[in-house]
Amino acid sequence: MSSLVLFPALSKETPDAEGVLATWFVSEGSTVAPDQLLAEVQVDKVAAEVPAPAAGVVHLLVDEEAVVRQGAPIARID
Amino acid sequence: MTIMEAPQATRRLTTSKAMVEAIAQEMERDPSVFYMGEDVGAYGGIFSSTTGLLETFGPQRIIDTPISETAFIGLGIGAAVEGMRPIVELMFSDFMGVCLDQIYNHMAKIHFESGGHVQVPMVLTMAAGGGYSDGAQHSQCLWGTFAHLPGMKVVVPSSPADAKGLMTAAIRDDNPVVYIFHKGVMGLPWMVKNPRTLDEVPEGEYVVPIGKARVAREGSDVTVVSLSLSVHHALDVAEKLAPQGIDVEVIDLRSLVPLDREAILTSVGKTGRLVVVDEDYLSCGVSGEVVATVAEVDPGLLVMPAQRVAVPDVPIPYAHDLEYAVLPRHDRIEKAIHAVTIR
Repeated sequence: MSSLVLFPALSKETPDAEGVLATWFVSEGSTVAPDQLLAEVQVDKVAAEVPAPAAGVVHLLVDEEAVVRQGAPIARID
Repeated sequence: MTIMEAPQATRRLTTSKAMVEAIAQEMERDPSVFYMGEDVGAYGGIFSSTTGLLETFGPQRIIDTPISETAFIGLGIGAAVEGMRPIVELMFSDFMGVCLDQIYNHMAKIHFESGGHVQVPMVLTMAAGGGYSDGAQHSQCLWGTFAHLPGMKVVVPSSPADAKGLMTAAIRDDNPVVYIFHKGVMGLPWMVKNPRTLDEVPEGEYVVPIGKARVAREGSDVTVVSLSLSVHHALDVAEKLAPQGIDVEVIDLRSLVPLDREAILTSVGKTGRLVVVDEDYLSCGVSGEVVATVAEVDPGLLVMPAQRVAVPDVPIPYAHDLEYAVLPRHDRIEKAIHAVTIR
């Protein structure tokens, strides 16, 4: 079963705010453990870490520096 | 003991996260370790040197200080001579001017003046370096100044793994250790992107011995001796020149005190050509010391005169183009390598 990793909701006032995928800490196809740091994202000047929700092989759905809407999928873990 | 059959997850960290991990692990291990400085608590350090530590260890051990460098560095020295292991952050190396008496007349001399009876097991951390238009008072390296003054070790990591290993070693060292992190190696999302600031970092206890240089890239034609962010630039240039048939060896000093002169001599003995890349000022500093190391032992090792790529003796400009003109960046490093490899 695969699970999607979503861009976290950093701005509560603006639910459809856009942010930036600042850094990928894992590369395409790598094996990850639960809670392992996957990415750091930014909305305005606020940064947040995105941990892996489950173990598996990670597939990156957006590029580094890409602008992403909150709640949009950024990775899939198979 | 369980043997893990599953494939090992590769874990990469930025330099700042690797540094924080080392501090957290040592604080878990040793209750006498604490961290103190300006904006190191809720803010997490303006260059992310302490992100998340306040939440884990609380305000008794992660202590925000007023803007009073002489007072809180003195407080750290006092705690250290009484047996604690403080890590004290001077927000910018540029600010050494307001508190240097505590650093070089007290922190660095108590062990000597007490005839070796009193130890100062303290780590003094600080951010250094330019490249992001922060002006002449917030962009200097100044590690050569600390290394010039006797009585303290000086470490300058460039990679995430070394940032962790050298921090662990610095905390455990019974001498005062100055730990200087260039803002450009930390992997901060708002800085110029640098892929070398994100790399694999060993989990668990990890110590890098202070005083040992690292061969960051093996090569046979020319030795580039460097440190901190300049190592990343040197590696970029080495990769660019490889297809042109110039095989560059890059030595990352990692530590200025003690200085691994043996590593410098071994590499120059192999290549016969030396370029020193240092983001500190040119005169009377690290780059001159590296060249002198070769000249004093055997100037005959060099088949071409050595080249130094450093900041000329001027304040760091604010204007982006002017700042990049004085910093030891790729263009100047490449030119220096060509100058010593010309046939």
